[in-house]
Amino acid sequence: MSLKFTDVSYTYHTVSGETDAVSGLTFSVDEGQFVAVIGPSGCGKSTILSLAAGLISPTRGRIERGGGQFGYMLQTDALFEWRTVEQNIFLPLEIKKKNTPEMRKNAVELAKKYGLEDFLKKSPAQLSGGMRQRVALIRTLAAQPQTLLLDEPFSALDYQTRLAVCDDVHDIIKSEKKTALLVTHDISEAIALSDKVVVLSARPARVVGEHIIDFGGGSPKKRRESSRFAAVFEVLRQELGI
Amino acid sequence: MPESFKLARQYAANNKIYFKYGQKNRRISFKFQIGGTICRNYLCMGGAPPLCEAVRNTLMKHKKYACSLQHEQYLKKIRRNKLIVHAVRAAILLGLVGLWELCAQVGVFDPFITSSPSRVASTIADLAAAGTLFYHIGITLMETVAGFFIAVVLGYAIAVALWLNEHIRAVFEPYIVVLNALPKIALGPLIIIWMGTGYTAIIFMTVLVSIIVCIMNVLAGFVAVDKTKQLLLRSMGANKFAMLVKLVMPASLPAFMNTLKVAVGLAWIGSIMGEYIVSRAGLGYLIVYGGQVFKLDLVMAATFILCLLAGGMYAIVAIIEKIVIKRRG
Ligand SMILES: Nc1ncnc2c1ncn2[C@@H]1O[C@H](COP(=O)(O)OP(=O)(O)OP(=O)(O)O)[C@@H](O)[C@H]1O
Ligand SMILES: [Mg+2]
Repeated sequence: MSLKFTDVSYTYHTVSGETDAVSGLTFSVDEGQFVAVIGPSGCGKSTILSLAAGLISPTRGRIERGGGQFGYMLQTDALFEWRTVEQNIFLPLEIKKKNTPEMRKNAVELAKKYGLEDFLKKSPAQLSGGMRQRVALIRTLAAQPQTLLLDEPFSALDYQTRLAVCDDVHDIIKSEKKTALLVTHDISEAIALSDKVVVLSARPARVVGEHIIDFGGGSPKKRRESSRFAAVFEVLRQELGI
Repeated sequence: MPESFKLARQYAANNKIYFKYGQKNRRISFKFQIGGTICRNYLCMGGAPPLCEAVRNTLMKHKKYACSLQHEQYLKKIRRNKLIVHAVRAAILLGLVGLWELCAQVGVFDPFITSSPSRVASTIADLAAAGTLFYHIGITLMETVAGFFIAVVLGYAIAVALWLNEHIRAVFEPYIVVLNALPKIALGPLIIIWMGTGYTAIIFMTVLVSIIVCIMNVLAGFVAVDKTKQLLLRSMGANKFAMLVKLVMPASLPAFMNTLKVAVGLAWIGSIMGEYIVSRAGLGYLIVYGGQVFKLDLVMAATFILCLLAGGMYAIVAIIEKIVIKRRG
């Protein structure tokens, strides 16, 4: 078990009032599994990832985290524009005091493998949106976390780039054998990428349904082309109530 | 000759085309001739398209060395405009100085009251000959620079402390606002009593005038740092120190460089104001003294030197800013 939420609730407190973001949430992510969480806008998806990352503690309930480090890829790429692409990728190594030559070499290898070789010395401002996203992913992977938390990693992209980067990311995560928890509000993205889809209600987030996705041989492209895609899509759409 | 450029030369040689290549100011120029048409650069319209293509492609690969004819003209225009601005600027200054001199000579102004450029020049020459000029400049410059550095370093440190602890920040905020609003010259008598009449008092005044703005601007830069980037660092397990060094300080660097520019101006206000209150030496002292004994030449001369020094110091900071921001990428 890599990550397990048991009856988790979370309430934000601000001066102007309190907001229940998550209520009675129970689900789990197995080792090596790719789980997608879908839910309507503002339902508490990012909150779930912050809880999973341990940035905030649940108001009620329990979160069990299996062994291994977590890597959190935020909703925006948050690249440091005063650092080169390479230095951005090294950031988690510096913070986690893992800044050894081997780790740096590993990170650079990863970047090269996924088409960033010519851009390592460039500034993020010189990259396209899709490339920035890829840099953000490599940065998340650089410290070699076992579990990835991905917060709508493709939301800033146009549709075509999105499909391409989406396939890339799936590739990278599967070939690096990572566990992943992906948050999105895009049904087709969830189906294409994941082994399991967790559907959330509107705020405060509860689990409405869980679906194991196992058709199409695990490649996003094949999934999208599969005849079963539409049927699953329809089921999820109805559960989301749209 | 760049590697791929040889392609174009090869083509020209194969086709018995006149081809000349040169490199000047990091820009490659070339010339070739086909059937009486001389083509320069790569924007050759007629002539041999294949060669044009080859050369164009070659040059495109070396963008750094080449640009199109239009771009060349565009750059020329910008350079010319810049030159015009500089020329007009210089002309205005020379014109005003000339007019001032003329009016003083002809008698439109009474030079005893308005002084004149030539009298200012001779006053400066006299001061220099007497050896006091550089003494006074040195004193004022030392006070200003010392006050500036103390204010910036101390102000930055205080801003860091305030950033580190939100509670302390909340407690001190109103004090800073009031101190900022207070005309610091009101503290003149206190400073003299506490610090005496030497240059420490003036440095203290300089620090006092500029430090509050340093604290406020630097802190504003710190607080404005992107919340998402902070979240990112926290998710990597960064502590406050790492947050400060890896994110907050570099992210607020442009704000800091701006603060330096503001602080330079304020440091001059502080030091001259200080010298007005407790004068013994310095350019501020010369101005006050000159006013008291009605030597307007001296007042004007000191003011002129002050203009040069303040402008020079600002220029140095502006250049440092440019270098720092450029290196930051
Ligand atoms: N720091 C905060 N303080 C107070 N309320 C917050 C805070 N962060 C989020 N909320 C509230 O909690 C709810 C859930 O927010 P969250 O960001 O988790 O939603 P989301 O599903 O990720 O939304 P989106 O689809 O727009 O990314 C929202 O109503 C939001 O207003
Ligand atoms: Mg969100």
